[in-house]
Amino acid sequence: MKNSSENNNPLVEKIYFLRQKALEKRTIHNKQQLNKPVSFWIKEDRLKNEIGKEFTVILRTNGCNWALSRQGGCSMCGYVQDASSIKVNDEMIINQFKIALENKRSAIEQDDHHYVLKIFNSGSFFDDSEISDCVRKEIYSYINEIDKIKEVIIESRVEYITMEKLEKIKEGLNEKKVEIGIGLESANDHVRNDYINKGLPIKDFEKIVLMSKQLDVGIKAYLLFKPPFLNEQCAIDDCANSIRYCLDLGVDTISINPINIQKGSLIEHLWYKNLYRPPWFYSLFNCLVTNISSAKLRNCRIVSDPSGAGTKRGIHNCLKKECNETMKKMLKNFVLHQDPSKLDLKNHNCECKMQYELQKDQC
Amino acid sequence: MTIFFNLIRKKIGLSRIGRITFSSTFVNSLKTPTVAFPLNYTLLHDDNFIKEFEDQSLFVISDLNLLKDEVLTDHLKHANYFYRHSGTFERFEELLNQNIELFTSQSLVTIIPFNSPNVVLNKEFARAEITFFLENASKLCVNNLDIKFGPSIRTFNYPELLGLYIYFIRNNENICLIDFNDSFDYLNKFRRIGSLIIQAKEQLDNNLVIMGSGKLVPKNYPLMVYLGYDIIDCSYSSYLASEKLYDTLEYMRPLNKIKYLPCSCVACQKTQGGTLIEDKSIRKIELTCLHNLITAKNSMNKVLQYLHVEDFRSYVEKSTLDDLNSMSLLKILDKEYFSFIKNDTPVTQKNKIVKSLGPLSYFRPDFQYFRENSIKSFIPESSTKLILVFPCSAKKPYSSSKSHKKFNNILKKFADHQEFQEIILTSPLGAIPRQLEDIYPVNSYDISVTGEWDHEELKITSSMLIELLKKYDARIPIICHLEGAYCDIVRIAQKTIRNTFYFSKIEESVTSKESLKSLEYLINTCKNISKSDGVIEQISHKSNTWIKKFFKILNYQFGFDLKTYYSSDLVNIKHGRNKNEIHIIGAKNRYLIGVFRKDVGQVFLTIKGAVELKPFLEDSNFIVFDGDKIKGNTLFRPGIIEFGQKLLPNSHVIILDKEKQNVIGVGEMFVGSNFIKNSKTGRIVKVYEKLK
Repeated sequence: MKNSSENNNPLVEKIYFLRQKALEKRTIHNKQQLNKPVSFWIKEDRLKNEIGKEFTVILRTNGCNWALSRQGGCSMCGYVQDASSIKVNDEMIINQFKIALENKRSAIEQDDHHYVLKIFNSGSFFDDSEISDCVRKEIYSYINEIDKIKEVIIESRVEYITMEKLEKIKEGLNEKKVEIGIGLESANDHVRNDYINKGLPIKDFEKIVLMSKQLDVGIKAYLLFKPPFLNEQCAIDDCANSIRYCLDLGVDTISINPINIQKGSLIEHLWYKNLYRPPWFYSLFNCLVTNISSAKLRNCRIVSDPSGAGTKRGIHNCLKKECNETMKKMLKNFVLHQDPSKLDLKNHNCECKMQYELQKDQC
Repeated sequence: MTIFFNLIRKKIGLSRIGRITFSSTFVNSLKTPTVAFPLNYTLLHDDNFIKEFEDQSLFVISDLNLLKDEVLTDHLKHANYFYRHSGTFERFEELLNQNIELFTSQSLVTIIPFNSPNVVLNKEFARAEITFFLENASKLCVNNLDIKFGPSIRTFNYPELLGLYIYFIRNNENICLIDFNDSFDYLNKFRRIGSLIIQAKEQLDNNLVIMGSGKLVPKNYPLMVYLGYDIIDCSYSSYLASEKLYDTLEYMRPLNKIKYLPCSCVACQKTQGGTLIEDKSIRKIELTCLHNLITAKNSMNKVLQYLHVEDFRSYVEKSTLDDLNSMSLLKILDKEYFSFIKNDTPVTQKNKIVKSLGPLSYFRPDFQYFRENSIKSFIPESSTKLILVFPCSAKKPYSSSKSHKKFNNILKKFADHQEFQEIILTSPLGAIPRQLEDIYPVNSYDISVTGEWDHEELKITSSMLIELLKKYDARIPIICHLEGAYCDIVRIAQKTIRNTFYFSKIEESVTSKESLKSLEYLINTCKNISKSDGVIEQISHKSNTWIKKFFKILNYQFGFDLKTYYSSDLVNIKHGRNKNEIHIIGAKNRYLIGVFRKDVGQVFLTIKGAVELKPFLEDSNFIVFDGDKIKGNTLFRPGIIEFGQKLLPNSHVIILDKEKQNVIGVGEMFVGSNFIKNSKTGRIVKVYEKLK
């Protein structure tokens, strides 16, 4: 891979500059903190064929290597800020996972619902420098202890996904449905690599999808809603195109992630300069309603659980609590029931609807 | 494809009046400059909007389904549409392929969208993105030759990047307009706007329609039209309404700050729910949007009124008075781009009062051109033995004013007064030789007079006076019949000019008996000083003020050097039946050489006059026609094979046959040399006399 001084890419230069500045301000975690997960929670969620619950664990590792590299990482991502600058060893990661699991074990086991376990490490689960092979193996065995967990989702950049690792996860979680979350972000090469700086050739993504199908491992494609440098309508068009692409490719889950402004990211820089506005809920709904149908959802689930929704930094309409809460509720209902009719805005009469109508072509 | 744009008339600056023909039937033609109004589903189904805008002929749509909407087909059936997809290029291509019949329809022009990126990180980022866009846009144009396209042009505040677009625009004949998406987004970088527009005018076919979109507010419309924009997309006015900003024309004010509505349009009138500023419902944004769009419409109407009927430049000046960036842009255009803009500015305006509103008017292009050309073309008469400097008068021409009549009465007392050269000092035009007092803009300008002159006015006038006086022998005495600040001007000139200056004694005013006596005395004393030195040629012919004027005006109009012709004493003057006209007749053959028309301040040469003057023709006002005989009354661009390099709109030209041997016509230019250079089609000369 070229380093930025060779390719002199202004996007990379800017992201790298902002990243380095932000990393200087990163919190230094003590040993005790490194033995605890960043966060974990349970909440209602959509499973493959039913409404269930999610158990999410956020692990603290040394962070995404793409973001720490001379390429600076993705333009919208600031998760590396939460990563530890001190080496996080295998034992610490296992401790983090165990704490989360033990804390919620009884709640999960006593619950009537089935669960999807999401393990996020704000980087790549399959990157050995973040999570080693033996840690992964141990985590698989802990998960197997809980029957209620029917699905497991982890995330990784494609360059760390190998046949061997897929085989191991499949073998390690034999009874459970496994999905690998990959940040495709956009099916458009230009948007993905020149605006988001994903550094992901579409062919590499397609190769992994094929590979995972061979092993009956699911693929969850993350799509970024309103990447930097796109206006509202471009965001709708781009996401619609990406949804169609993913459906054609046969991915198992599409997760639509409307931008939230993360610290130290390029998007935060643009947002501060008033050159970027997080998307409107109306745009997301418009995109979903016009591009998906119940028929299309038979083979693929579409989910969206936006971070920071309803705030200035997240997807929002007019910042009126009532308006945004309604939107969030509608979106949740759509995800749980996989029914686009839940996004019908006919009865929503907030003043900002007109405002959006007049602005969407220009912001 | 039908010729899309026809230039009808050039106006001051880069402004122009034109006609866009969407189809060969002419039914859907529209006149420019004009506003393109946004049209969406909500507006289309608002009765007030339809009532207000159903007579408008241009709308911008971003939803193709609207074209099938019954309201549109019923109420806006004679309208034309620009389709602007506000999303990605890829989606636009899909829509185009799915709706090819709609896109090839006669009344639709398709804007090629360049919506992403909507911001850039630096110039290199912008360059890469423009290059990427152009690759896609080029393929699109080549693959859809039947569609009329208007590419979006974004330079992201780097006007030099316009160069990337030039090859693409020149090489695709289905491009009929260019849409500057962000030219006014950075008004604080006003120099860059000037640079962008001048580049476009210099490098692209001048028949391309120039459209502006992006962050445009109605108060900028006069300046935009002055810059040569033909169409202004007013969508931003509706965007601002969504932010609850109300257009007072002077400012965009937050609705909650408006205490007294300055407008009584349908949106501002009291409705059942109260007025716009009281109404708390969802209708508030709708009504503000309607008001802002009506303001945009009215603003363009006002522009059109000034452009067609009044002095447009003074309106442009007025419109910039409360916007410092616009004011700076106008100043930059006057100072840095005069050499280009003068070639696009008509040499005259018919029956207009040109008000000089202050410093912004000092360097308007027609004033600057007058100063430049009168200094350049003015050749002193060899018989001049005395120079008299007078103050200006409010009435034009000066010689019809009471004060100048009094001066003239004094001069007439001297039998040799035709050997005196009079120069009139005035602001902001400068120093005017008496012979040029009847031409534009001397015959039309007006300025508020307080007796106070600012530094710039003193500089302009003294510089011009110096340039004129430099042309005379240093031994010719100069009598100044002036008072107050006028004397300051002469004092500045005295530092450079070696001639002896004499000041008449002014008591009370320049027209008082005592002052005029002093003038008479001085003339008597000075008039033979230079003659006794043998400086002056003896004149043997009879002389006449109008004959002197005629030759000086011809020099000014055509760039001739008619000194030798004048001394051959071949012309007579006859006042026509029409008081507006003065006829110049050859003394020997009694044929009409030309007619001076006071309303436009120009000499209309006859063919015979033109034949007579052809030997004096250099690199000036001529057109070489590709033929021996002119048919019709208009010469079009394809028929022009050579042309003078300094032709201006409204200037008069002598039309030569293709061998350049014979004069086959005389005419008035529709356009200037700039346009001829940069266009393949269009009307060039209005022929007012041709060889039969």
